Amino acid sequence: MVMMERREMNIWVVVLLVLFVLVEEVVSKKGGGGGVNIWPMPASVSHGHKSFFMSKDFQLTTEGSNYKDASCILKDGFSRFLDVVGLAHVIEGDFSKINASTILQGLNVVISSQIDELQYGVDESYKLLIPSPQNPALAHLEAKTVYGALHGLQTFSQLCQFNFSSRVIEVSKTPWTITDQPRFSFRGLLIDTSRHYQPLPTLKKVIDSMAYAKLNVFHWHIVDTQSFPLEIPSYPKLWDGAYSILERYTVADAAEIVRYAQRRGINVLAELDVPGHALSWGKGYPSLWPSKDCQQPLDVSNEFSFKVIDGILSDFSKIFKFKFVHLGGDEVNTGCWTTTPHVSKWLEKRGMNEKQAYEYFVLRAQKIALSHGYEIVNWEETFNNFGNKLNPKTVVHNWLGGGVAQKVVAAGLRCIVSNQDKWYLDHLDALWPDFYMNEPLTNITDPKQQKLVIGGEVCMWGETVDTSDIEQTIWPRAAAAAERLWTPYDNLAKDPVEVIGRLTNFRCLLNRRGVAAAPLIGLGRSAPIEPGSCYAQ
Amino acid sequence: MSLNSSKPITIFFTAILALFFTFSLSFSVDLDQSLTYLWPLPAQFTSGNDTLSVDPDLSLSVSGNGGRSRIVKEAFYRYKAIIFKQSSSRAASVYIKNVFRGMRSGDDITKLSIIVNSDNEELQLGVDESYSLFVAKNSGHSIIGEATIEANTVYGALRGLETFSQLCSFDFETKSVQVYKAPWYIQDEPRFAFRGLMLDTSRHYLPLDVIKEIIESMSYAKLNVLHWHILDEESFPLEVPSYPKLWQGAYTMWERYTVDDAYEIVSFAKMRGINVMAEVDVPGHAESWGAGYPDLWPSSTCKEPLDVTKNFTFDVISGILADMRKIFLFELFHLGGDEVNTDCWNSTPHVKQWLQDHNMTTKEAYQYFVLKAQEIAISKNWTPVNWEETFNTFATKLNPQTVVHNWLGPGVCPKVVAKGFKCIYSNQGVWYLDHLDVPWDNTYAAEPLEGIDEASQQQLVIGGEVCMWGETADASNVQQTIWPRAAAAAERLWSRREAISTGNITLTALPRFHYFRCLLNRRGVQAAPVTNFYARQPPTGAGSCYVQ
Repeated sequence: MVMMERREMNIWVVVLLVLFVLVEEVVSKKGGGGGVNIWPMPASVSHGHKSFFMSKDFQLTTEGSNYKDASCILKDGFSRFLDVVGLAHVIEGDFSKINASTILQGLNVVISSQIDELQYGVDESYKLLIPSPQNPALAHLEAKTVYGALHGLQTFSQLCQFNFSSRVIEVSKTPWTITDQPRFSFRGLLIDTSRHYQPLPTLKKVIDSMAYAKLNVFHWHIVDTQSFPLEIPSYPKLWDGAYSILERYTVADAAEIVRYAQRRGINVLAELDVPGHALSWGKGYPSLWPSKDCQQPLDVSNEFSFKVIDGILSDFSKIFKFKFVHLGGDEVNTGCWTTTPHVSKWLEKRGMNEKQAYEYFVLRAQKIALSHGYEIVNWEETFNNFGNKLNPKTVVHNWLGGGVAQKVVAAGLRCIVSNQDKWYLDHLDALWPDFYMNEPLTNITDPKQQKLVIGGEVCMWGETVDTSDIEQTIWPRAAAAAERLWTPYDNLAKDPVEVIGRLTNFRCLLNRRGVAAAPLIGLGRSAPIEPGSCYAQ
Repeated sequence: MSLNSSKPITIFFTAILALFFTFSLSFSVDLDQSLTYLWPLPAQFTSGNDTLSVDPDLSLSVSGNGGRSRIVKEAFYRYKAIIFKQSSSRAASVYIKNVFRGMRSGDDITKLSIIVNSDNEELQLGVDESYSLFVAKNSGHSIIGEATIEANTVYGALRGLETFSQLCSFDFETKSVQVYKAPWYIQDEPRFAFRGLMLDTSRHYLPLDVIKEIIESMSYAKLNVLHWHILDEESFPLEVPSYPKLWQGAYTMWERYTVDDAYEIVSFAKMRGINVMAEVDVPGHAESWGAGYPDLWPSSTCKEPLDVTKNFTFDVISGILADMRKIFLFELFHLGGDEVNTDCWNSTPHVKQWLQDHNMTTKEAYQYFVLKAQEIAISKNWTPVNWEETFNTFATKLNPQTVVHNWLGPGVCPKVVAKGFKCIYSNQGVWYLDHLDVPWDNTYAAEPLEGIDEASQQQLVIGGEVCMWGETADASNVQQTIWPRAAAAAERLWSRREAISTGNITLTALPRFHYFRCLLNRRGVQAAPVTNFYARQPPTGAGSCYVQ
């Protein structure tokens, strides 16, 4: 076993290599771990020891359900469920040889709410019984909303395995009783389409895989310094900032992504990162730059800057229906403002220093977002610099390091945790145990303050990821964080070693579903180091 | 359009950028540019100056004896999805039209006509893959207008559909799919009949869905043989009903293929005009067989090659091949025969005794084994393919039907064809995809007919194959190890030699190759950046797909 970057090796690499050798036998023969192979681990699970088999024409029924499913969210979710369950092998079993009393004919889904609007905090709970105590020929799924039911389908799909003797899909260890709901309402993944353009099919596949791990926020860092791929009808020349004429998203593409995600229970958090990460805007509108030679941050002295932001957010509000919009505000180097004569003159006239101008810019952008009905997320620098000036509706997005959330909630603001040392996926030396053990509520004991931590997010910055490697940079590490964000604290493993078999199993499940999740061994997105079973790597 | 990077850029990068600039203009301004963004390059083509729009409700009209084929119809819907994948779903488009207001005018191409002359759907080596493709504005008078593909077989029609899909690009100004530089007239056929990619499912198990994705992507580059190196010493994932315990050689119970799975792969590939050539690599790469049948090992401490002394060994081979014959209908079958280290035969007493009794050296026993396996394959009506060591060691004894599979280095096929054998070119120095230090241009420049001048000998080179050995490739990275380099070989194997071997490929091929890599990405294939020195490396920094 040769590790290429020994110096960067995290202690976990060594520990895990040794552990894999020890657990390989157990893991490989049983398909990955102890009794329950569900990822993320549900709030409450109990099971027996009897096997059921899925009928060849396994049906969806909705007896007793209040939900009309007018837009087919449930129906489509169910057919996706059948697809992933049947993907691994050709199902050619002879049902006449299977005891009829062990055949599941279908799934009855009972949803109590008629609403299918997806919003922050939507009820995602569900209860799954296999088989149904009322009718043993059916499985039973209960949820408040269709989005809870979708999670229940994901859990169910993980209980289904191809049986190589009977050649049909087996649900072993029944009866299953699973009651489940997420610990945090906000479980995000950031995708950056500015550093590399990600084609629509790539984004959709990422969204599909998020649903497998019950993540529910697709934080779309659409534009940045490097490129501006999104069409903005109000200011059409912004599109000139795309890398090339082919690396662009139409408004319809964006709407398609939102719709695609929503049908999987995933919200899209759009980001407009101002004023620092916006150089590409000036390709089409050079007056947004302080000057031709000094192009970032956006020109604070020019009213046009705010008009454009208003136009973009107005267009956003027609596409991105999530209640939050992300306004960035990180890494603002105000050098250009002081060195560009007309900007520095403007600062002087207003009696502002550059730090005050930064505050002025962020707060003005916040007001514009509020006027379009959005609540605001800002990166933590805004809080660190002028926390008490931020709009009280601000959600502060931590990234620089640990210990920030506790300060944010102590100040009464909401917080999203993404400390880069543990939850930045582009940090290839942050390994899955680091992702798993990163606790959003560290040092926050007051229940009122705990509630202000709305969740967390893993960030896939795009400098070195394109379609070729994005999936294996995200997975399986994002899954480790997904369990941290979903599973009740008391059910979480206190030592990541305990979940190694179950996570390996989930990684192999992702592979079976065509997701290019990387081996657990090694740094992020490492190639397998030698021949071997997926369940041992 | 240019990069926004303010970082210092190297001269090389500047050159690429300059190239990129020239080429990007071709989409919006300079339609007369000299490069044609089709990969692999068709044999003959002419184009014009029209821009035609393609109706999202594009309909299919079929005729000819083979027109009603399911293969054609399903391919049409597959390609229709690909062509309109970049644009959004109806629902989203309608929504956006309502919110932002947008209009569409009538489209120029509303129908694709496919004429298939033959209704013979047998897919074998040398099947006619030629087609002609005509794309023009319907003048209203002519009977043949819009888009027409004519082919002798359904498989030629598939190649034509692929080319048609590459002519279609999404235009962001009009929000519609367009064909630039029409009218197009393309007459195309492959240079080699055998254009392969080898997958190794023994070193790492590849899930069914991943194999299907790879087959699908092969069709984008017009490759037509999946060489399935199913088993090897590390694991035995395939079910063999005649000897069911062989399956115990799988890594785990989950990492196995049923017979039905294998049928599914063959039929999925056939729908895309791709043959599956299965391999059973004997006697050297077969240790995993003994997990279920330890008798196949010379001894429990010396497990490879297979025990040459036992009838049981050949019974098992015969059983495997009998079972496989039902699944794998391709006329070629690969028997391996490479890297046979015969030490175990010498050091295991009962084998050594047998050698003495039969007055054989280990080298002769190797020959005996390979030839016996060939006889079994031939008795099942298969043409045997063997790795080149068999030829290098006992060429004169090989069955004359044998196809010799080159891998060790250059200059082998000339020797093979000089002796009258057929040859498949896979020189590891350029066409082994697991060799990460082979840049795309080396892969591209490799010529299967190098050193073979006589036409009758040239015809014995049936083609070539790129090999994706699986030691460090699993479901997480196999696709970006394969692509884009496999596409470089694919053009070498499809296109006219003179069209792709002259001039400076940095100017003639590289921009087209960039374009094809990005096309793969747009179709969801994880093709790696082109210009990294090492294969499957991440992009080195932010930037456009078209320059990386």
